[in-house]
Amino acid sequence: MRTMFKQSRWLLPLVSIIIVVIFLFPLYWLVVTSFKTEAEIFRSPQTWFPQVWQFKSYTEQLTGSSFDIVNGFRNSLAIAVGALLVSTLLAIPAAYGVARFRFPGRHSFILIFLVTQMLPASLLLTPLFILFKQIGLIGASYWSTILANATAGIPFSVIILRTYFATLPKELEESAKIDGCNTFTTFTRIMLPIAVPGVVVAMVFSFLFAWGDLIYGMTFIGNEELRPITAGIYNFLGFQSTSWNNTMAFGTVSMLPVALLFIFVQRYIVSGLTNGAVKG
Amino acid sequence: MKRASLLLMSLMLILTLALTGCGSDKAAEPTEKSNESATAPTDSKKKLTLWFYFEGKSQFDIIKSLTDGFTQKNPNIEVKPVYIPFADFKKRLSVGLAASDLPDIVIIDNPDHAAYTAMGLFADITDKLADWPDKDQYFEGPWKSASYEGKQYGIPLGSNNLALYYNEKMLADANVKPPQTWDELRVAAKALTKGNVKGLGISAPQNEEGTFQFLPWLLSTGATFDHIAPDGTRAFSMLADLIKDGSMSKEVINWTQSDVMKQFASGNLAMMVNGPWQIPDLTKTAPDLKFGIAFVPKDSKFASVLGGENLGVMNGANVDEAVQFIKYVATPEVSKKFSQDFGYFPARRDVASDPYWSQNPQLKVFAENMENAQPRGPHPQWPTISNAISEALSKSLTLTTTPEQAATEAQAKIDKILGNK
Amino acid sequence: MTNAKGRIAGYLFVLPALLYMIFFVGYPIIDNIRLSLFDVNVMNLTKGHQSFVGLDNYIELFKEGTLQKVLKNTLIFTISCLVLQFIIGLAFAMLFNLQFRTAQRLRGLVMISWLLPATITAMMFKFMFSSGGIINDLLLKLHLISSPIEWLVNSGTAMFTIILANTWIGIPFNMMLLTAGLTTIPKDVYESAAIDGATAVKRFFKITLPLLKPAIMSLLVLGFIYTFKVFDLVLIITNGGPVNATQMMSTYAYKLSFDQFQYSQGAAISNVMFVLLLIIGVIYLRLLKKEEQL
Repeated sequence: MRTMFKQSRWLLPLVSIIIVVIFLFPLYWLVVTSFKTEAEIFRSPQTWFPQVWQFKSYTEQLTGSSFDIVNGFRNSLAIAVGALLVSTLLAIPAAYGVARFRFPGRHSFILIFLVTQMLPASLLLTPLFILFKQIGLIGASYWSTILANATAGIPFSVIILRTYFATLPKELEESAKIDGCNTFTTFTRIMLPIAVPGVVVAMVFSFLFAWGDLIYGMTFIGNEELRPITAGIYNFLGFQSTSWNNTMAFGTVSMLPVALLFIFVQRYIVSGLTNGAVKG
Repeated sequence: MKRASLLLMSLMLILTLALTGCGSDKAAEPTEKSNESATAPTDSKKKLTLWFYFEGKSQFDIIKSLTDGFTQKNPNIEVKPVYIPFADFKKRLSVGLAASDLPDIVIIDNPDHAAYTAMGLFADITDKLADWPDKDQYFEGPWKSASYEGKQYGIPLGSNNLALYYNEKMLADANVKPPQTWDELRVAAKALTKGNVKGLGISAPQNEEGTFQFLPWLLSTGATFDHIAPDGTRAFSMLADLIKDGSMSKEVINWTQSDVMKQFASGNLAMMVNGPWQIPDLTKTAPDLKFGIAFVPKDSKFASVLGGENLGVMNGANVDEAVQFIKYVATPEVSKKFSQDFGYFPARRDVASDPYWSQNPQLKVFAENMENAQPRGPHPQWPTISNAISEALSKSLTLTTTPEQAATEAQAKIDKILGNK
Repeated sequence: MTNAKGRIAGYLFVLPALLYMIFFVGYPIIDNIRLSLFDVNVMNLTKGHQSFVGLDNYIELFKEGTLQKVLKNTLIFTISCLVLQFIIGLAFAMLFNLQFRTAQRLRGLVMISWLLPATITAMMFKFMFSSGGIINDLLLKLHLISSPIEWLVNSGTAMFTIILANTWIGIPFNMMLLTAGLTTIPKDVYESAAIDGATAVKRFFKITLPLLKPAIMSLLVLGFIYTFKVFDLVLIITNGGPVNATQMMSTYAYKLSFDQFQYSQGAAISNVMFVLLLIIGVIYLRLLKKEEQL
């Protein structure tokens, strides 16, 4: 028993690392390909490591198009944070409402939240475009894209958070009431803090939905200076004359900041996840 | 627990701050409108928008030189070029049409011109071109592609067609001459296939690109786009045979034309079918590669397909200015330079007779091939017709149906679209 | 809280989000239904008469046989992805939930596959699974195959490739939601079970799974919806090919609407999707109600 325990101390991390390495192999391939020359990419058999390192794929992204990458990141960030704020702000109370209150129509509300995300974005595009144009949101600002992306984040967050709020014990509410909390303060002071793991997950995904969005950013934002990074470089790449190394360099560049962000906030996400566990 | 709730509280605070903040400070406001087609602003300058789908900075610069050159001559009109990726082009036009948010001029793929005209996208400029002498200089095929039901809705920008590229060294090594007929091609392709090298490469995805590449084969049999069966069967079986022989990879159904070019440039293909626009890229990617160009081998006659783009004038407030612009682009000097920079073959006779095209050994083939090139359509339902053709091509190339079946199925679908049962 | 005050409070909590969604998505949904009942195509989009044709668009698509085919493809794709993502996601969640060194860091790394824009992931897989790609190289080197597989040329392997690609994207999503679910399970439940002598397998089936049930249910319903309407990925990797073998409802609707300008037929396809997802939604609600009565 003791030796097994000792083994598992390095066995478990080792096995996990191997699994993760296999899982992330496509990412390795992405980065490696971005540094290869076109000729090497088409060589057969493939080389596991660039024989000649070339950085053209990266420098071209910075200089080869009129699209300003740094600016693009700022736009993406603004859009993703905006969508995150709109979705969480609206979704948290809604999830709480459908989870903790019993009122007629509650279930149809949940169904509506499910239903509203059932159409693929490509088909929402035309009507949404008309709608935004009528309210005057096309072209001049991030708002159209933020609002459109929030339509994906809200239902998601409501469904996920509902599960969390629903699992909280009833006694919490009752004791809050005895302590003099009203419905609203019970929600903000007692229930919300406990649901942090769910909230964090919902926030992370709302952010990522909007970060990865291409179709809305492409269509609604005509002004190049306001385009998110995905749309900006998608334009630059062009998919007719597929250039693999440029594509992969784009992938690396667009992934890197979020990956860094993740490593940075990972601590908070994990502590949010573990601290929020309901005790008994 | 405490830390988490703190984090959350501060987040909520940011939320509320951000929301009230966003409404007032308008961080995203400073830049002017762009999506909107020019509504005459306070200054006297008219602003027009031009949509195009040519990728890359150099292409953008060439287009920009057109619009800048125009503004120099017409200081009160400004044309702003806006790049829309090819994959999104049709969608953006559809969305724009529904929301009346459109540019003033577009550069589009010529077989789509009729469909967009039928949709009501383009302005009838027949009268505005009535006393324009240059219109008689245009080749018939390209000119017709911009007309619909006898009216003119735009003009050709430039043309191209498809021909056979071959790797001179590989052919010499295998002691093979550039094939002229299908029989020769089949033998040659087989002889050239060695190891990683395939004899022939084409682009045959299930979309317009596939149809475009298939038409030279189809038309060579004497079939036409609306009468595929029975003659067209031979085209399907010819390509399927190349696959069965192993002289052509099945992967062609996933290759774009530029994928094909890259495979050819990397020495994985001994021959390929491609257009003149690939020459600059090909010489850049593989400077040492010696290649020759010949007609696409024939069945009963040499045939090719007419590619190229048209300038379409959109319905709207700026039709007159737009017509001014397309006339400027059409002037021989402008159109000559543009066609050279772009790897186009000119759509005008007077420009096409320039030594640049008639003397250059590579371009000469494409120039002569213009005589063999037939347009796609024009027909407003072309996208659907094209889909029927490229689907049949996919089916026969993946060997899922026989060539006969592929041809008859496509014919049945096309009959239904055209309404002749 | 079933009293009147509680009811009003409930509505107040829910309404803002609900109105938001109805405002932005309600119109598109209704517009789509209208479109599918008329004959709107390239010839009459902006001018001319658009005639009411009832269910003709649906019947036409059904007769043609493509509807059944894309429906079948979409279901195969969705269910395979869902099962694979869930199993692997759950395994990852439980693995990294064991308190060992590097567990948290590894969990963070796994998330990265979700961070790539879907278009790039699609290009990546297309590249890796091309005939001369690294996957064939690897398999050849390991002597698992004797000649390169044309992954994207044969219908079965093409479907396999897009399932694999989508699963790769979906694993972090499942993992995160299940991780969050796992944290809601109190530790002492396991401790007392361990004292009772329950084996690990038994603990998994008797404690972990049942307690995760609410999280699993919402995860699966959301996963189903997202997978069912997957779009960019398929469009880029196979474009529905070879010969419609991987044509999904979403890509087919897109192709009809934006490539062939058959707006009404495109709308009809997306409405069929909509109805199917609606059924899934209703099933979810049924389960939810049952759960709440416990």
